[in-house]
Amino acid sequence: MSAVQELFSILLNGLQLGAIFALLGIGLTIILGTMNFLNLAHGALYLIGAYAGMLTMRVVTLRTGILQDYGFTELGLGWGFLAALVIVPTIGFIVGVLMERYVAKPFYKRPHTDQLLVTFGLALVVEELVKQVIGGNTFQSTSPDTLFGLQVSGPIQLPIVGAFPRWRLIIILIAFIVIGLTWLFMEKTDWGMIVKAGTLDSEMVSLLGIRIGRSYALVFGLGAALAAFAGLIGATFETVRPQIGTQRALVPAFLVLVVGGAGSIRGAIVGGVILGTVLAGFQQTFSQWGQIAMYALVALVLVVRPQGVFGSVEVEE
Amino acid sequence: MSDNGTLLAVEDIDAYYGESHILRGLSLEVQPGEICALLGRNGAGKTTTVRSIAGASPPDVRSGTIRFRGRDVTDVPVDDRSIGGIGLVPEERRVFSNLTVAENLRMAEVSRNRSNLIGRNIGEPAETVDVDVIYEAFPRLDERRDQLAGTLSGGEQQMLAIARALRQGPDLLMLDEPYEGLAPQIVNDVEDAIGRINDEGTTILLIEQNAIAAMAISDRCYVIDQGEVVFEGPSEELEADEEIRQRYLGV
Repeated sequence: MSAVQELFSILLNGLQLGAIFALLGIGLTIILGTMNFLNLAHGALYLIGAYAGMLTMRVVTLRTGILQDYGFTELGLGWGFLAALVIVPTIGFIVGVLMERYVAKPFYKRPHTDQLLVTFGLALVVEELVKQVIGGNTFQSTSPDTLFGLQVSGPIQLPIVGAFPRWRLIIILIAFIVIGLTWLFMEKTDWGMIVKAGTLDSEMVSLLGIRIGRSYALVFGLGAALAAFAGLIGATFETVRPQIGTQRALVPAFLVLVVGGAGSIRGAIVGGVILGTVLAGFQQTFSQWGQIAMYALVALVLVVRPQGVFGSVEVEE
Repeated sequence: MSDNGTLLAVEDIDAYYGESHILRGLSLEVQPGEICALLGRNGAGKTTTVRSIAGASPPDVRSGTIRFRGRDVTDVPVDDRSIGGIGLVPEERRVFSNLTVAENLRMAEVSRNRSNLIGRNIGEPAETVDVDVIYEAFPRLDERRDQLAGTLSGGEQQMLAIARALRQGPDLLMLDEPYEGLAPQIVNDVEDAIGRINDEGTTILLIEQNAIAAMAISDRCYVIDQGEVVFEGPSEELEADEEIRQRYLGV
């Protein structure tokens, strides 16, 4: 592989990882920016999205867990990817709204430490529930062969890069469409305007007669839907197991938050892509250094620009 | 309306920030159409007073009553009070720097959307002021409609903060140190704007560090100290009362 070829392939893989990081980061950053709420259960939403996605797309064979104990050996709808594309974000949205109402809301005025404890507890509960009910084993990823009659599996020949998994290209496309729609929502609608204003100064929004509580529920639901959507696409190319919520989602989402800055959607997108590219770059060259490089980058950002690349909001304890 | 037509009546309120007791049995009244100044040293409780009236939290108002147009609003949430006609331009302007000038001014419209009004118990919402009227009154903002508010100068941001509150069509506009950090020339502009707003019928409650300037612009003054009213009366009376001025205002 030539250096140029390698570089382009890193960029593509970086975009794909970055898109997922960005999807996760957007939710975390708007929830933190608007409600000053630190949500360690954000990874659990990814986990829910991954399982919900897998079970919508196909039927899996259960090997352990309570359901299997009671004689259920098969679980899932087998409706395919397009159905999951509708169902999973909807589930995420509903779970997010409920989470806002019953978990986050009572803790808005409490210190961040309390918020961290309750949401981390919730993350553990969700992870353990999944493990107990569906089983602690690893499930293989599922991706469709065709969408709307077009082939989406197998390799595709790209200029410069050469053979590249067609599905990964589709994922990049879909993810950035969703990111773009989120961006449009935030920039072009009154809801988005209120959320942006609320990220900066939620009290001022209510001083102008706007009931910010409704926007909180919406923001939480939206952030959760994006995280669940990230889980769905994650499940199409990575194995699904109960630990992915924390390992694959929560940690990267927080790193994105640090790099991009709290409360900045643009920061989450750019931060996600930067981190994704760094991780992809190291995975392809010095694979054992990938994780370390990500943390090193985050540490560097913290030293040079503690508020993050695009952060303007000081998050107070 | 209460019997004497008082617009705002604060009756014997006690307000706390956490456990600190800031306002101690404070009472004040604002009559329709006047400019009323709230004076006092730093930490006297001026900001706490207007925040209590606006319904912002903190402070926590634990006793006493706040009446607006004769109606008890003590337990009415902050956003409902805003729509009901109580406007506050808080300290430090607090424009949404990540939104454009036009978007900052759009907030009033959004607050009157049906989805935002549904289920409220506020009677008739105050009538908003048309954005063109606002732009006419603040031509500098008109020129900068699509500029991000964060890129405006301090004076322009103050104008925007006032204009944004005015668009809500408040019956009572409370201004917390509107001249803070502005150049003298700009102070005159803001002062003119406040005078015009008042001429057009909006009642004003003004907090101002500079007692001389405040006495000049206002009809009536309250001086507060350690959360209590120590003087109330026409501004001329305060100007004549050297002892009070020396003791509580240092001028």
